[in-house]
Amino acid sequence: MSTYKRRPLSRRTFLRGAAAGGALAMGLPLLEAMISPKQARAQAGQLPFFGVFYWANGLPWTSKHGGEQGTAGHPDHWTPAEDGTYAPTPLLEPLAPFGVNVATGLRPITEIPAMPPGQGDGHMRGFMVALTGDRPRGEDFNHSAHYLTSRRESIDQYIANHPRFYDPGAPPRYRSIEVGVSDARFHTYGHWNAISYNGPGSLNLPIMKPSALYDRLFGVDLGVEENQRRKLMLDAVLADAADLEKQLGATDRIRLEAHLDHMRAIERRFEASTMTCAQPDRPVNSDDLTEKTRLMGQLLATAINCGLTRVFSFMLTSPASTHVFNNLGVPDGMHKTCHDGHWQRVYDITRYQMQAFAAFLETFQTTLPDGETLLDKGVILGLSEYGEGWKHSTNELPALLAGGAGGKLARGVHARAGGDNASYSRVHLTALQALDLGDESFGWSGGEARDVLPGFLR
Amino acid sequence: MPNTLQFKPPKGKRRLSGASLLLALAALASGCQGDVTLPESNAGANTTSSNNGTSTTPVKEEVIEPAPGPAVVMRLTETQYRNAMEDLFGTGLPSVALEPDTNPYLFFSIGAATTTVTSHGVEQYLDSALAITARVFDDPARREQLLGCAPEDIEDACVRAFIERFGQRAFRRPLSPEQITRWHDLGREIAAISDVNTALESVVGAMLQSPRFLYRRIEGTQGPQGNRQYTSYEMAERLAFFLWNAPPDQQLLDAAANGELEDRASILSHAQRMVEDPRARAATQDFFAQYLDLERLEHVERDPERYPGFTPETTAAMEMEVRLLVDDIIFRAQGDIRSLFSSPRGYVNSELAALYNVEAPGASLVSFVPVEFSAQSKRAGILTLGAFLTMNAHPTETSPTLRGKYVLERLLCQTVPPPPDDIDLNLDPNASEPKTLRERLIEHRENPACYGCHKLTDPPGFLFEHFDSVGVYREQVDGITVDASGELLGETFDNATEFVPSLATDPRLSHCMVRQLYRHAQGRLEEAGEEPLLDAIDLEFAASGYRFKDLLVAVAASEGFRTYQPGATP
Repeated sequence: MSTYKRRPLSRRTFLRGAAAGGALAMGLPLLEAMISPKQARAQAGQLPFFGVFYWANGLPWTSKHGGEQGTAGHPDHWTPAEDGTYAPTPLLEPLAPFGVNVATGLRPITEIPAMPPGQGDGHMRGFMVALTGDRPRGEDFNHSAHYLTSRRESIDQYIANHPRFYDPGAPPRYRSIEVGVSDARFHTYGHWNAISYNGPGSLNLPIMKPSALYDRLFGVDLGVEENQRRKLMLDAVLADAADLEKQLGATDRIRLEAHLDHMRAIERRFEASTMTCAQPDRPVNSDDLTEKTRLMGQLLATAINCGLTRVFSFMLTSPASTHVFNNLGVPDGMHKTCHDGHWQRVYDITRYQMQAFAAFLETFQTTLPDGETLLDKGVILGLSEYGEGWKHSTNELPALLAGGAGGKLARGVHARAGGDNASYSRVHLTALQALDLGDESFGWSGGEARDVLPGFLR
Repeated sequence: MPNTLQFKPPKGKRRLSGASLLLALAALASGCQGDVTLPESNAGANTTSSNNGTSTTPVKEEVIEPAPGPAVVMRLTETQYRNAMEDLFGTGLPSVALEPDTNPYLFFSIGAATTTVTSHGVEQYLDSALAITARVFDDPARREQLLGCAPEDIEDACVRAFIERFGQRAFRRPLSPEQITRWHDLGREIAAISDVNTALESVVGAMLQSPRFLYRRIEGTQGPQGNRQYTSYEMAERLAFFLWNAPPDQQLLDAAANGELEDRASILSHAQRMVEDPRARAATQDFFAQYLDLERLEHVERDPERYPGFTPETTAAMEMEVRLLVDDIIFRAQGDIRSLFSSPRGYVNSELAALYNVEAPGASLVSFVPVEFSAQSKRAGILTLGAFLTMNAHPTETSPTLRGKYVLERLLCQTVPPPPDDIDLNLDPNASEPKTLRERLIEHRENPACYGCHKLTDPPGFLFEHFDSVGVYREQVDGITVDASGELLGETFDNATEFVPSLATDPRLSHCMVRQLYRHAQGRLEEAGEEPLLDAIDLEFAASGYRFKDLLVAVAASEGFRTYQPGATP
């Protein structure tokens, strides 16, 4: 019997490059990565990635949001004046270096059932449509308790599970990664905590610390024996659990099955041997929102570069965020600031959030061997929960599409929707077609869209 | 030497566990306060709910067939998980981060029954199981104590005996011979590539990741009147997790083995024993922390220049004050729990004493002393103390809306209607410049979009206007005398001090407390058929003089807690 040597307790996996010991010049800002040229082409070159970038509380209000919002006479610093190639407006100016596409005039057009009441609420209907293309689920909706769930997956999970996105024969190490930055929460339960959903009652809670994300993605080699031990343990748990499902009702069976699926995915990671890049330095956590965004962005970019995943969801601030932006001299939480009608403070916060988005996009500007950047290869959908937070209007629900999708997505284009063709899901559909997934429509419960945004696709 | 309690604010993390409270209480000398009594309660008065269309209790004319609600499968909450680990292995275990619990409708047990664990959460369970078993098995003495032997080979007789014994404690039920063999086989596979101790460490680590440990499953058995009822083992679990937030002890498991927990009398007898156990004190603290939303205090920040005397430790002290009051009323004085909302009692450290402007001899930053508030201080009950007032306020000003909503929804179980889906945007933009917070909020109430909620939430919230965003009493704000008059569902009061005695004896308060405890115990909201069951518990609660321990027992022994509807769930 061989002597079993205990390894450190972490699950981390060591990622070896094919050219062990030789580093390719990748031009990464702060992190080293060793990637074989072939893998780089395969991972970053041919296969696009998708991500969601979410910020809270929409935009500063203008007359475009409604009559009352217009009475204060605040200017529209978001909507570009031109269709097509546009001159950046003050709020979009931080994003100018990245050629981000902007769609304005979009709104949810999903039906609003009368019962249970309150499903037209600007917050809840707004972020549900922006993230899933569908209205909130009526069966367990309770406006008074601010409780709601989704009828279906959010767009990031829709893509991660799309039959044409990942190769069914070669599933990724992580189907998707969800991260968040600001800890402030309007409520500590349910959909106020997360923007990535799998279906009713099933959320993907974001990882909130860069060090925790690092621990999940990178680390040291466990060794063959430890990997085998853990795999055997999980095998036994799954075998033992096989009996349990028979006892359960439908809903509980789904919950248990999801739990077991997660175990199966972990088990596969203990078996897998695909290693593509070396371990970056472990980040030190920060309380500064922009710095934390940068750290998370670097880790996500590295993970995508190394082929660990091709889908992510990034929550800068949570729905109806109560974050206190005292770095901007705003003394109250953002949600209250909106409802109190402090337009200038809301403007300042929104601009700051756009600067954070820019810092995030900057981490994807890694130059790849073919001369393009990582951002050129993917699609990042920037969105928020409603048009504006003073009166909760869902008009002018913002939409940004960053990235190049390997050449399929145009850069620096503005399209203005309106009239009968304003379904927010036009931006979802545009993203799906930029990723070449074959969808011809997207959206449910009256929100179906069949037209992409003009000028966005090449 | 006056009674003092030593309190060490935990560095950085301000969360107080029930356990740390118990340590503090252990130092308390025998109490010197008399029992708390209320003015003559009107428990015998008309209990029909006011039919304002927003109450959750139905009008009494309707005859409701009593029927239990559905069974729900709850995953262990984080506290329950850690208590279970301590139960299995003892103290001094590594504390690996787990997926945070969620509390829809106020309670983590409801989140435990409805949420799906994420992939990251499952990884965390794995990491936790590995870390805990490594700690235990690395220590030869600890390992031997757990195993009950020092096996040299995986085929030693004590190995199978250990798996059977440990399995029953971990899974809270006996294992079948097939299950025992299956775990033994895992041990054999790993022993083949390492050694017997690593093999057993792995078996234990795997069992701790099993859904049989992490979820509270239900099979049930045939019950009365066509309903189902929980089996003895399931009742053992339900009683233990409800009353102790921990797994069943050996006494409960032995009772379950004898099929004893399927009738009211035996359940009642165990419940009565269990509320006297120290674990009930911590579990009750946990319920009140959720019912009163004490966690929200952790997220409060205040500008020290605007609020001198308010430090990062102040909110921890405010939370401690509520916990001390809860423990005092329920477990020491064993008095009327409604006095929590009206008794002129506080437990202050030096910071709170300064905030409340009261004398508190013997109080220091870490020592709490009981104080009796005078009539002049205007304080009586937790709605006039730091925790409620501070968490329901903004950094720059108070929030009558949040304070009113807390009283209406959390304490009185009234629902607030949603705004209409079509929003009228034609507000007169030439309204004169508002001055006071009350005037600004009146604007909100004149807007039809906001009116539905705010006409209910704001009027009771104004009652607390004398107390600022950190609970300091003030007669004026910006030179204007405070008007703290307000209204709760039609009844007017001049201020909070006048209001709280009426609230404490309001039948809706005690009905709602019963309802909240029931939801917490069941892990779900009540169904229409359970209203008569809740009424019955209500009557028991009133008859006991509103003693909370009696309420715990009444809920545990109630028909609604031991039976359930046949249906989609087994």
